[in-house]
Amino acid sequence: MSILRPLEIIIAHGPELAAAGLDPHEFALAVGGFPKTRILLLDPALPEEEQQDRLRRFLGKGHRRPVVIASTDPESRAAATLRILRRTFQCNPERLSVVDLQPALEQRDKKSRRLKGLELIRLAAAHVTRAFPIHPEEVPVSTRVLVWGDSFAALKAAQELAASGYPVTLAGPKPELHPLDPEVPHLPVSAGLAALVGEVLSTDNIRVLTEVSLLAVEGAAGNFTVRLELAREVLEETAGAVILAPELEIDSHHQAFGLPAHPRLISLTEVERLLEKGEPTSFAPEEGGTVALLAGFSPESSPPGLRRVLAAAAQLLKQANLQVYLFLGQARVAAPGLEAALEAAQENGLIVFKLPDMPEIAPADGGTGLTVSFVEPVLRRPVKLSVEAAGLEEIYCAAAANAALAKVLEIPLNPRGFLQGDNVHLTPVATWRRGIYSAGPGRGVMGLDQALMDVEAAVAEVQKLLGQGAAHVPQGRAVVDRGLCVLCLTCYRVCPHRAITYDNRARIEEIACQGCGTCASECPQEAIQIRNYTDDQVTALFESFDPQLSPRIVAFLCRNSAWEAYQAALKLKHADIPPGLTAIKMPCAGKIDVDYLLRAVVYGSKAVMVLACHPDNCKSRHGNEFARWRVEQVQTYLAEVGLDPQRVLFKSLAANAPQDFLDAVAEMEARLGAMSGAPPKAAVR
Amino acid sequence: MNSPKHPVVILGGGIAGISAALELAKLGHEAALIEKSPFFGGHAAHFCCKATDKCQKCGACLVDQRLRELFQAPDIALYPHTELTHAERGNGHFRLAFKSKPDIIDPTRCIDCGICYDECPSIDKGAVLVAASATQHPRYFIDPEGCLLSHECLLQGCQRMCPAKAIDLTREDSAFELEASAVIVATGYQPADPASRPHYGYGRLLQVITGRELEEKLRLGEDLTRPDGQPARRLGFIQCVGSRDRLHPYCSRVCCAYGLRLAKLIRHHHPEVEAVTFYMDIQSIGADPAGFQAEACQAVHLVRAMPGGLQASPEGSLIARYLDESTDQPVSREFDLVVLAVGISPGKDNPDLAEMLDLTLTPEGFFQSLDGEHRTGTTQPGVFLAGTAEGPRSIAECISQAAAAAREVHEYIKALV
Ligand SMILES: Cc1cc2nc3c(=O)[nH]c(=O)nc-3n(C[C@H](O)[C@H](O)[C@H](O)COP(=O)(O)OP(=O)(O)OC[C@H]3O[C@@H](n4cnc5c(N)ncnc54)[C@H](O)[C@@H]3O)c2cc1C
Ligand code: SF4
Ligand code: SF4
Repeated sequence: MSILRPLEIIIAHGPELAAAGLDPHEFALAVGGFPKTRILLLDPALPEEEQQDRLRRFLGKGHRRPVVIASTDPESRAAATLRILRRTFQCNPERLSVVDLQPALEQRDKKSRRLKGLELIRLAAAHVTRAFPIHPEEVPVSTRVLVWGDSFAALKAAQELAASGYPVTLAGPKPELHPLDPEVPHLPVSAGLAALVGEVLSTDNIRVLTEVSLLAVEGAAGNFTVRLELAREVLEETAGAVILAPELEIDSHHQAFGLPAHPRLISLTEVERLLEKGEPTSFAPEEGGTVALLAGFSPESSPPGLRRVLAAAAQLLKQANLQVYLFLGQARVAAPGLEAALEAAQENGLIVFKLPDMPEIAPADGGTGLTVSFVEPVLRRPVKLSVEAAGLEEIYCAAAANAALAKVLEIPLNPRGFLQGDNVHLTPVATWRRGIYSAGPGRGVMGLDQALMDVEAAVAEVQKLLGQGAAHVPQGRAVVDRGLCVLCLTCYRVCPHRAITYDNRARIEEIACQGCGTCASECPQEAIQIRNYTDDQVTALFESFDPQLSPRIVAFLCRNSAWEAYQAALKLKHADIPPGLTAIKMPCAGKIDVDYLLRAVVYGSKAVMVLACHPDNCKSRHGNEFARWRVEQVQTYLAEVGLDPQRVLFKSLAANAPQDFLDAVAEMEARLGAMSGAPPKAAVR
Repeated sequence: MNSPKHPVVILGGGIAGISAALELAKLGHEAALIEKSPFFGGHAAHFCCKATDKCQKCGACLVDQRLRELFQAPDIALYPHTELTHAERGNGHFRLAFKSKPDIIDPTRCIDCGICYDECPSIDKGAVLVAASATQHPRYFIDPEGCLLSHECLLQGCQRMCPAKAIDLTREDSAFELEASAVIVATGYQPADPASRPHYGYGRLLQVITGRELEEKLRLGEDLTRPDGQPARRLGFIQCVGSRDRLHPYCSRVCCAYGLRLAKLIRHHHPEVEAVTFYMDIQSIGADPAGFQAEACQAVHLVRAMPGGLQASPEGSLIARYLDESTDQPVSREFDLVVLAVGISPGKDNPDLAEMLDLTLTPEGFFQSLDGEHRTGTTQPGVFLAGTAEGPRSIAECISQAAAAAREVHEYIKALV
């Protein structure tokens, strides 16, 4: 038992443990066999004062030994006990290991329940006695926030930040602030937006910089060094956080449909301009004439675009007394009130033809107008309609400058060019770089209502990060051994959170580091260790395995997906998890080293499973991909030394898919069966 | 009973309420989360993962992750099977009265073995309920309303058989009060009633299921079969059930996405299965709508028509009749299962809650927000909205609205003191 060092073990139980088939007293006696440990049996249902008393007597004063607390469903059953340990006794989370005994209770017979329970505690003990306490420290940060762009979201964010006491630099490439409401006619600029511009310009705490380009954002959240190129100088300042909200761009996508260039085939903005000038007749000269509007034919057509088309249609019908046809591809009505607005427009005289594709539009023979040819959808016959003019819906797209901006910021764009990666864990406003948020038109096409929610969410993120000028930062989750580092910058390239900078050696920016461990596993010098997932600690786990439990299967589980699925699977009635399966919770699949997989085999594992998030669902962007490559690598190593590569299995699954976990286990067992030549076990389900 | 003070009371423990509570906790507030049903997570806790060879960004897994966070958050007081009975406000504070169903199963004793569920003769009346998410403890709940004890269940099997002696069928409802500075209404929605389209025969034709039921089946890893046990090889999806019609004059905004994702998922795992989706319009989906649509067209046969009706065939399948787009001819097509992509209808309790809290409802029946720009505020100072209580939206949108509501509450409370 060389793996064990002094520690305290608390078994928190009421009558349930015995009911589930694990006699707590017998179990405690067995645990008592571990050297250098003390054991307390505690009923978590006791009044809190009583528990506190007992814990005080057990832990003594100035105790600094690590604690393992074991229970079934500890986070709910032993919630009060845990609260006391964490709050009253200030146990450091890294030195307090919470063990759910569920995997032991799953076992069929009394002996395996006890053995499994003991193994669970031994694993926890091996880990927690080697753990470093990680303490959050207050570090000073800048409260200045750089808000990029001149959209409604940018201006609102600036305003809200300033009101909450954060000085703001509002900067963007344009010569003046010109926010847009994608859901209303762009002309005239709405009174509300104009007033907002005025308010922002006259707020003391907001410095507005126009015609700026962003040269660099260096360093990490809390203290970014931002370099801005102004007309005559380069300005360098420190900002604690950045909110990105560059305005959308408008495209009338004529070319996309091969439409002819024709003076009477105009964009919606031009239609609105004519209406605004009170000159709808220059659009369609004949009183009572007909005009066509075209919408919903692009995959990029969006609800705001349709709302504007309906507004224009209503004005054309009313002001100019025209006959208005709307040729509609897909009715993009997924916004509040839009379906009703489309219905209402039809009741007010708008004639709608729903078509699968853009109709053919050609200059009318011998006239000034246009001909629209299409197959009439109800009677299915070809129709040629003469119209005086046609207005084409506009689509909204990401600012073209986003690509350059993303490069400077070192964050990926989403497939449509917005400044937020396409991963659900970034919901709502995060980017892959901590301290940089993307709101409103920075991350997608949306109305002002959604943009305002984004603003609130982004400002809340800033408040949580920067507080009143001090951030709570856990210290030393990842550490670089400066003696080993050769500055190859592998870590810099693989870190998904851009948490690595360098002086003459690689440096971890604690405030940005999420402890995923991708860097540590990729570093060719092994110069980086993740505290509490060091190689020694993981080896200690392997040494704690109980050879009596078989078949020995080691499952490395990403804590964000596979671990959740495993926990849920344990509760499923038909779960049939082999006694020798030991689950190891990893901070991210990115931390599952080649070395761990090989060592698991060396320590006697028949099989090794690596279960990670689905592609595109990794909280650390691509930890799962690294894990998959490493499994492939290990498989070739095994084959080289004559071992069956099928012993190592990689699978992706989601937190809400316990069945996928069980299927993976069943597959592993089937492979083991095939390897040993035993007849396959009947399918479990 | 004395009334503990919780600065913020959140009504509804779906993804919106959970996200708001977590966010408030991070901003330094104590919150009480009131959930009417026995379990947290709301509808989305029943959904499956829709990943094919990669994540489809449906957001369902976020719910399970946030549930665990919720159960571990020390500053959030959880009140399951509890509902608001009365609300009053005076000098800036709310006094809220609640009624709770009893914990017939003692959580400190229960070992989640499920024997009560197996033994109960009244399961079909919902006497014993099971949580969708296993993070929940106890995973089982005995609902006095469904329990036959009131009708003399002589067996009391659950109480006798429970190995942990966790069950006490005599426990009764309780009532309590809370004081709050602010209230967030996050009571969610109900899936649209498939009977609003009677010609699809939901309830009568057993081959017709709702999207919600399909989500749950897939989450549990069940095989897709027809009611007669034959494997389901031909699947039809009918979009917009309970949306964009006279009774529901709005787009539910999530059904195109989940309907197509489910169809893609099934095709991914069972390439031999045929999937046909009947639709009126496809809304733009995800961060890459063009890419999504292209992939969907590959996997699923999209038909822009709504079947006029469904009929059972003697062979145990269903026959859908519709007008073919290109030929304009009526065609029939056989399906083993038809999935109705039900939309988002206003919550059942909205009228009562609106009355108690002095709020107004929209003509459709959702909570009316302050205006079209401020979707988290209401005309009542101190009362905020989050999630589908305010109108149809996706999980991701619920999360951002909840984050926004939490910050508004934060600012509101700051201004109070
Ligand atoms: C079939 C279907 C599939 C879907 N699939 C997806 C998808 O894949 N991706 C996606 O993003 N969205 C999807 N959606 C939408 C998704 O369900 C919602 O966005 C989300 O669940 C809404 O969360 P919520 O918290 O607002 O409401 P709910 O989930 O309804 O939660 C509200 C909670 O409040 C409780 N409650 C109700 N009344 C009271 C009361 N009076 N007092 C206290 N508590 C109360 C309820 O019990 C419930 O737990 C789908 C919707 C449907 C119908
Ligand atoms: S642990 Fe992850 S987040 Fe931290 S520095 Fe390494 S790669 Fe980056
Ligand atoms: S498809 Fe949905 S549930 Fe599955 S991983 Fe992606 S977001 Fe999560």
